[in-house]
Amino acid sequence: MKRVEVKLSLPVVAPLLDVIRELSAELEKTLAAPQALHDLDQEFRGAWIGELIQGQNDDLRTLLSLFDAEFATQGIVAFDEANAEPIVRACTAFRLFIRERRLKSLPDEALETGDVEMAGLDESVRTAFMCYLFLATVQELIIQHLESSIVGS
Amino acid sequence: MAESRSNTRTETRASAEVQLEDAWRVVVLNDPVNLMSYVVMVFKKVLGFDETKARKHMLEVHELGRSVVWVGLRETAEAHVFTLQQWHLTAVLESDETR
Repeated sequence: MKRVEVKLSLPVVAPLLDVIRELSAELEKTLAAPQALHDLDQEFRGAWIGELIQGQNDDLRTLLSLFDAEFATQGIVAFDEANAEPIVRACTAFRLFIRERRLKSLPDEALETGDVEMAGLDESVRTAFMCYLFLATVQELIIQHLESSIVGS
Repeated sequence: MAESRSNTRTETRASAEVQLEDAWRVVVLNDPVNLMSYVVMVFKKVLGFDETKARKHMLEVHELGRSVVWVGLRETAEAHVFTLQQWHLTAVLESDETR
């Protein structure tokens, strides 16, 4: 099985994980981003959203499980064919939610290009934006090395 | 024979009308968050596109704000929208106005 191990700097990543953990409790109860479901009747819409949230929570748990006690001592995370798909989705869920909750002050264009003057940001926004970029890097890493196993599964 | 041919034509037309009436579009809308590489991967995974087609639709979403990625029966269209939403793309179901 293809496996990618990444060693992360604990002092750098710790504040970013705090952002993820702070938002995860709230994200468990809602969709990362609202979806337009105009063409569905009320009952069906409720079941639809419920199922999306359930799947989202499964993905979030897989992502959070990367940062366990072993990670706290060694700073290593591992991606493989089994966890790549839920983790890459969970990264998107968190990125969408970070944008909704912490990065509303940044224009969409800045989020798309990543071209942001970091020094001009409040510390909380700066940390949230760093977390947003960190999760994108995780996604790019997974897509670069494990895309074929995700698409083919 | 003539009557038979006429019946066939009528049935074909009726069948085509049913198909057109049932046509629904799966539309993916742009968002500033999802990576281009991620959107391409999702199109390949969910809709079975090859790399070229997935990139074409991704660029359409990015540059035009939306792309029709699938057209067909409502039940299947709903299933595609649901799966695309599981992947956190902004996907909507639209009745096909082109008929």
